[in-house]
This record gives sequence, C-alpha cells and structure tokens, in this order.
Amino acid sequence: MQLCKRLKRGAFIGLLGLSAMATAASAEDTIKIGVIQPLTGSVAYNGTTDVNGSKLAADEINAKGGLLGKKIELVVEDGQCKPANSVNAAEKLIQRDKVVALSGAFCSSATLAVMPVAQNYKIPLITGVSSSAPLTEKGNQWFFRATETDALLAKSFAKILYGEIKLRKVAYIGVNDDFGRGAVAEFEKQMKDLGATTVMTEFFEHGTSDFYTLLTKLKASGADGVFVAAETQDGSIFVKQKAELGLPVKVFGVGSWATSDFIKLTGDASEGIYAAVPYAATMTTPKNKGFVEAYTARFKEAPGKYSTAGYNAISILAQAIARANSTDAEKIREALTKTDYEGPNGHFQFDAKGQASGFTVVLVQLTKGSPKVVDSATVEEH
Amino acid sequence: MDMDLFLQLSANGLVLGMFYALSALGLTLVFGLMRVVNFAHGELYVVGGLIGWALTETLGLNFFVTLAIVVVVLGAAGYLIDRLLITWVRGQGEEPTILLTIGLSIFITNTALLIVGTTPQTVLSPFKSKPLFLGPVVLTQSRLFLVAICAALIVGAYLLIQRTGLGRAMRATFQDPMAAQLVGIRTSHIYGFTFALGAAFAGAAGMLLGSIYVVQASIGGVVSLKAFVVVILGGMGSFPGAIVGGLILGLAEALWGGYVNTGYVDAIGFGLVIVMLLVRPYGLFGKRIERA
Repeated sequence: MQLCKRLKRGAFIGLLGLSAMATAASAEDTIKIGVIQPLTGSVAYNGTTDVNGSKLAADEINAKGGLLGKKIELVVEDGQCKPANSVNAAEKLIQRDKVVALSGAFCSSATLAVMPVAQNYKIPLITGVSSSAPLTEKGNQWFFRATETDALLAKSFAKILYGEIKLRKVAYIGVNDDFGRGAVAEFEKQMKDLGATTVMTEFFEHGTSDFYTLLTKLKASGADGVFVAAETQDGSIFVKQKAELGLPVKVFGVGSWATSDFIKLTGDASEGIYAAVPYAATMTTPKNKGFVEAYTARFKEAPGKYSTAGYNAISILAQAIARANSTDAEKIREALTKTDYEGPNGHFQFDAKGQASGFTVVLVQLTKGSPKVVDSATVEEH
Repeated sequence: MDMDLFLQLSANGLVLGMFYALSALGLTLVFGLMRVVNFAHGELYVVGGLIGWALTETLGLNFFVTLAIVVVVLGAAGYLIDRLLITWVRGQGEEPTILLTIGLSIFITNTALLIVGTTPQTVLSPFKSKPLFLGPVVLTQSRLFLVAICAALIVGAYLLIQRTGLGRAMRATFQDPMAAQLVGIRTSHIYGFTFALGAAFAGAAGMLLGSIYVVQASIGGVVSLKAFVVVILGGMGSFPGAIVGGLILGLAEALWGGYVNTGYVDAIGFGLVIVMLLVRPYGLFGKRIERA
C-alpha cells in the first residue's frame, strides 16, 4: 500500500515536471494570443465561428513564416458570453498562459467586464463582435473595437429602410441583452427622426423557441415592417414561425442573418428578408474572394459575420506585433493605434478611442438562398 | 380583433403548454416517482433531438422509424445510467444525486459539442408547416400532429403505470422498497426501468419538438428548468399534473406575453413556482404523503 502511494506520488511529480517542461518549451517558441469566446451556451455556435476565423488567420500567418521568427499560438478559452466566466478566462490567459494580447469576449457585457482586467495587466484587448456603443467611451486605452456599433449601423441604414423599403409603421423586436436593446434603441431613434411611427417594442430571452405570442402581437400591431435584433438560432426560428403564421410583414434583421446556416435553417421562409451586416460572403471587396475560398475549403461552409470578425481581430493583432517588432505590450498597443489593415470587408483604422472606421457594412436581401447585396456604406470616423 | 387576438393567444398557449407537458413527462417520472432530481433531463432531451436530426437529415431515415430508434437508444442509455451511476448514490439523500446528475449533464453537453458541434439543426418532419386557418386562429399541421402524439404518449405512460404488472411493481418499489423486495420484486431492475422510461420520454420529446424548433447541443439547461417548473406546478409524479402544469405555464406565458410584454415571460413560470411552493408545496395533483 505504502509502496503504491509512493509510486503514485513519484509518477505525479514526474508528470508535473514533464508538463512544466512542455510549457517552458512552447513559451520559447510561440507568440501566444488569448481568444475568449462563448463555446457553450446559447451563442456557442456564433462563438465557434469566430474561433474558426481566428484559427484561419493564425494559420495563414504561420504558413508565411509566423511573426518575429516565431509561430503564433492561439489559446482559446470559453467565456460563455458571461461576464464572470470571461473575466476568469482572461485572468487565466494572462497569468498562466502569458498571452501577449487578447481577442474577445463576444457579448458586450462580457467584453465590458474583461476591459478593466486588460487595463490592469496592461494587455491589449481587441473585439471583432461587441457592438454596444458605450464600450469605446470608457477611456480604456488598451481596448480596440474592429467592428461597427449599433449607432453606426443605424445611421447607415435607417435612410434606406425609410426611403427605399418604405417602412412607416415599424415594430421592434430584440433579444433581451445589451446587443438587442442597444440595436432596437438606436434604430428606433433614427427611424423616428425620419418620420416613421413605432407600433410595438418587445424583447425575448436568448434561446426562446416559441415566438407565436410575439408574432400574434406583431400581427395585431398592424406594422408594415419589423426590425429584429437576434442571432442565428433565435432569428431563424422567428423567421420560420413568421412564415408558418403567414404574416406578410417585411423583416429587417441585424445580427448574424446572412450566414449559410441561417439560410439552411429557414429554407424558403427566409426569402425576401433584409439584413444589415458588417459582412456577407457575397461581398465584392478585393480581399474577400480569397478569404471565402480558404475558409470554405477548411470549414466546409461559407464564412459569416463572426468568422470574419475573428479573422480580422487576429490579423490586426498580428500586424501590430509585426509593426512593433516586439511582444512588449506597450509597443503592441502603440502599433495598434496605427493600424492600417485591409480585411475581407474593407479597410480598418482606429480613432483615439479605439473605434474602427473605414470598413464596409452592407444591406443584403436573402434571395433564393443567397444574400444579395442591395446597398453598402463605409463606416466613417465620427 | 380583440377577441381574435385572445383566441389566437390562447391557442398558442395551449399548444405551447402541451409541448411543455411533453418535455416534462420524463422528469415527472424520474423526479416524482424515483425522487431523483435529474438535472441531466434537458441533456437527454437534446441527445434525442440530435439523434433524430442525424438519422432523418443525414441518413434520410423515416421520421417514425427514427422516433422508435430514439426511444430504444435513450431507454437503453437510461437503464445503463441508472445501473452504472445512480445506483452508487441511491439512498444517500438528495445532494449526491443532484451532484451526480449535474456532472452527467456537463459530460453529455460537452460530448455532444465535441461530436456534432454548436450548429443549430432541425429534425426533418413529414408534416407541413404551412398555415392552417381555423376561423380567426392560425395553426400548422405539424403543431396539431405534435399535440396529438403528445396526448397519446401521456395516456400510454399513464396506462403503463396504472394498469400493468410492471407499473404496479414500480409503484410498490417507490412506496416501500423493502416491502417490495420482500414480495419478490427485483427493485434494482425497477429503478433501472423507471429511469429508462424517463430517458426515453425525454429523448422522444427532444426529437418531436426538434422538428418544429431547433436542436442544439447546448440548450439542455433551459429545457430542464422549464420542465422543473411544470413538474412543481402539476405535482410530482402525476401525469394529469404534468399536463395541467404544462397548460398553465403555456397559457400564462402566452397571455402575459400578449397583453403585458414578452421580455419578462420567463419570470412568470418561476413566479408561479414560488406561489405554488408557498400555497400548495405538493403541487396541484400531487398526493400529500409524508415519506419516512
């Protein structure tokens, strides 16, 4: 018995030593970037596509010889889109894995919680997803947002909704979190300024499976168009059930609506839907064709909004590290402020608050199973 | 228009209520009869849905054949879960079982994520989802069909427990395991069968509802929570209770959502549970029995 115990302890210590050696070795060889995304929970699907995009970016850089003579290594953690879990993930990535920069944490509330952690440890944090406008108003120098805000999207597309799609009586439906509420508030404000009336504003929980009540209310409200802020799974069920009830109301969505999975899940029900997205696989920007081919070859589906977000975040970080010619956090941060990056959806640069501009957002209409670009706008510095 | 709105909302609520009842059937068996607080219920539901998706969508199997396979596979899995895992913590109070089933739920979710990933999927159904107009009320063929199946399953389960020898042995075992053993009932098998039945119901519900909603590896938690609400409202272990609990929850959510707002609809169910626990802790149809 005693011998057995001693053997076990010996083996355990041996293992510890081995794993310590392994980490020491890899710390020498690679530049680690931490990625915090929801890999479980109701937006797990979206988080996973972000990670896929991130991996593609890292592999492309490594195939070209890596950075500063080393390979990039992504350390992926599940933040579950929850503030507490995302903070834990950030602490672990910074303290144990010694990452040089962070990309994350999907949901705006989770990103907001990670921001002070990044500031404390002086580690650059970039998000390609979190769209809640106040994030870049916090005066956090270590935070960069490589995507649009709800306000920017609303400003770009409210005119088209009013002028060309001719929505007058509008209903607003959003997922009950800061993304949904933020998007509904911004669009409602812009539409009102143009002269549209609001006939209904409602919210639903992540993971809702039955929208009949909401749809019945929508029908009774007499709206001629409905604005919906939702992700793939909730949005697809909404659209399907709207078709089941035979409602003729025009749908305009924000969130991940122009993805191949969305179209597969909704089938015919998605015909004619409008969506405002920062990315569609059918975009004709110079870099997009190669990106779609590489992504489709590797993941067997066309890239969506979040695949591109992850790809951009890692590419921007990598370029900053190359420009800084160092893994020193302060130098990377400096280099990030001088970002000049050409992605699949256009050009990115950051203003003094860390908000990106110069890239393209598009309005698509889903026709015959593919997102047709109706209009596009460049996000201007504001 | 107002009357039409009320009728449509009520119809939505009743259909939704039947679906809640369906998804809670397995739990009411396991929780009500065996007193196993099964936090892995929602995950068994998800596994049923995922198998349903894999067989109908990727292999092109018939819907009903697939349903039979789901019932058999989940039943077998349930039996094994009881005989290999739950048996170790039986009779040690509720906490070890709770921890065990929570662990099991995490294990199942992550295994499912590893195998099928996070993409939402649907089960291919032979029934149409075109609108059916019944006066002012709109329904779909697939929803009406599910309500019928749901009723059939509930009646079937009720008859099995009340009218068959196996059902009698089950009830005896959970009333007094010692006495049941003394009269020759192999109680360890009965525990296994009951859990198997609960798992089969959960899997069938997951597949059936997966044909009108979506199936996703990580939605088990939400399903479990709603199922607990239904079981507590209706009374543990009671089939009529599960139906009534489901209908109350469905109607309350539909009417609250329709006339007040939909943002806080989930709070309704839990509000009802708090009221029920204060007023009638054994539920609407639960029997007031003290257990030794």
